[in-house]
Amino acid sequence: MHKFKALIRKDLQISKKTLMIPIWITAGFYLLILLISAFAYFSGKLSMDLGNIQGSPPSETINYIVNMAIMGLPGLISLIFIIILTQGALNENIRNNSELFHRSQPVSIWYQSASRYIVGIAGNWLVLFAIAIFNFLLVAIILAIVDKFMFTTALAGMAQSIVSFMKTGLIIGSLTFFCSAVFKDKAFLQGLAIIVGVQFLFIILNALMQWHLPLPLSYLIKLINTATPSSISPEIFNENVSYYIMEIWKKILINWNTLLQVAVSGVLFVGATLIYKSREIK
Amino acid sequence: MTQENVIQVKNLTKYYGKFKALDNVELEIPPGRIIGLLGKNGAGKSTLMRCILGFLKHKGEIEILGKKITKHQESIHKNIAFIPDVNSLDDRLTVKQTMDYVSAINSSWNNEKAMELLASSDLNPNQKVANLSKGMKTKLYLLITLSLDVKILLLDEPTLGLDIVFRKEFFNTILGEFYDETKTIIISTHQVEEVEQILQDIIFIDEGKIILQQNIEELKNEYSIFTVPSDQKEKLEQHNPKVINKTLGHVSAVLNSKIEIQSAQINRPSLSDLFMEKVGGSNA
Repeated sequence: MHKFKALIRKDLQISKKTLMIPIWITAGFYLLILLISAFAYFSGKLSMDLGNIQGSPPSETINYIVNMAIMGLPGLISLIFIIILTQGALNENIRNNSELFHRSQPVSIWYQSASRYIVGIAGNWLVLFAIAIFNFLLVAIILAIVDKFMFTTALAGMAQSIVSFMKTGLIIGSLTFFCSAVFKDKAFLQGLAIIVGVQFLFIILNALMQWHLPLPLSYLIKLINTATPSSISPEIFNENVSYYIMEIWKKILINWNTLLQVAVSGVLFVGATLIYKSREIK
Repeated sequence: MTQENVIQVKNLTKYYGKFKALDNVELEIPPGRIIGLLGKNGAGKSTLMRCILGFLKHKGEIEILGKKITKHQESIHKNIAFIPDVNSLDDRLTVKQTMDYVSAINSSWNNEKAMELLASSDLNPNQKVANLSKGMKTKLYLLITLSLDVKILLLDEPTLGLDIVFRKEFFNTILGEFYDETKTIIISTHQVEEVEQILQDIIFIDEGKIILQQNIEELKNEYSIFTVPSDQKEKLEQHNPKVINKTLGHVSAVLNSKIEIQSAQINRPSLSDLFMEKVGGSNA
């Protein structure tokens, strides 16, 4: 465990700059909003009072939707950086000419691989959490001023948004990690090109030969796809928020699909490590 | 199988595609020796070292400290330190981060010695490895290696691209700080003249085959350089030397010391002279 900690620390040190970029992007985004708001305030055009909007949804709905929606951009940025970090996970040392140095250390290949996998995926999750905490506080303050802040509903909205992105990140990150073991350069694009190529090939074969070959891209999208608020009727939401939130939890987390996602990710990690282990170091 | 050999190689063969990089290599490396691995470019020196380290798939048997090696294994690196080109350090880490990382994963790390070596060097712990000069990178690699209490040290062209001062310093430090009679050092280098004084044994490798493995003193006693005037060249030619060197008005060749040639001037050969005689070629 001591060795594993050292590997995680080292991989975090190496990836620190890349991991911090989503925070800088979010900070830049907020700075821009702040500047625009300041400009609007001083020119007398700033007006925020959700209570006065005619036909506005109840506070519970606002708390839930706003907290969920505000994580949309950081979530997407997080996915992009998961791809960036995992697609180089098993190749970056070769590009950096330090593969011999790292592989000459008395530490298991499984530990080395796991450390890069965890930093590439969970490292970005941590960053997403950090942004979420900041967003939550910010939204809480704004909602408390302009309407009403409801802690439990707001927290549920944010947590469900984060969990959706974490699960998507896990699948995409694991797939890209696997591609990094197979391809030494532009792993994600090459992997995607092959999946899309096979998809088209199977579509043509299915059409021509009347076969029923499974379509890999469709399966992948199905695997990634997690429920969003739009997948449940808004009427149900307005009638019973707690019930609605629980239904969403069941759709995005408490189901067999989650288990399948974790299992597929695990298989992709094991496969990637076995390929990496069998690579010759020239 | 002799127990005291730290490295034992049997029938080692390695192909890169159809190219045979190593051809039935047989080696026995006893403990406490400093061994030079000498060969032309592409002779198989690096491939041999990488096979020993388990980095390459191969045919044949390799045993390190009595344990069979078939693939990359964590246990190999507990007892072997390997220094390839010094540029293989991770540029993205700082000096301190590199030391912390290596110390945390090597149970044989001697922190006291590392701190002592760091204090006596001009390395800045907070400096990125990427910003170090090649000479400073060499010092860092040495510091790391010397702080590890390992039985075997493999050096694969470690001083490539370094200036003469750092090359001398490198090998002097290895000899002074690392070597004792329980440790084995294998050095693969092109700069034979610089390591000749510290080597005890020599291995010549050519086209993937071990041409010779011998004690250097014995080898130097076995052969001599015979120099005769150019017009007496046939006196050398009748002993079939691989190479005849021309100098001003004279020709010379490395021949068995037992040979007697009248009026020939006899000198002790250098390692490169012996390599030329045994292997031939011009880029040793």
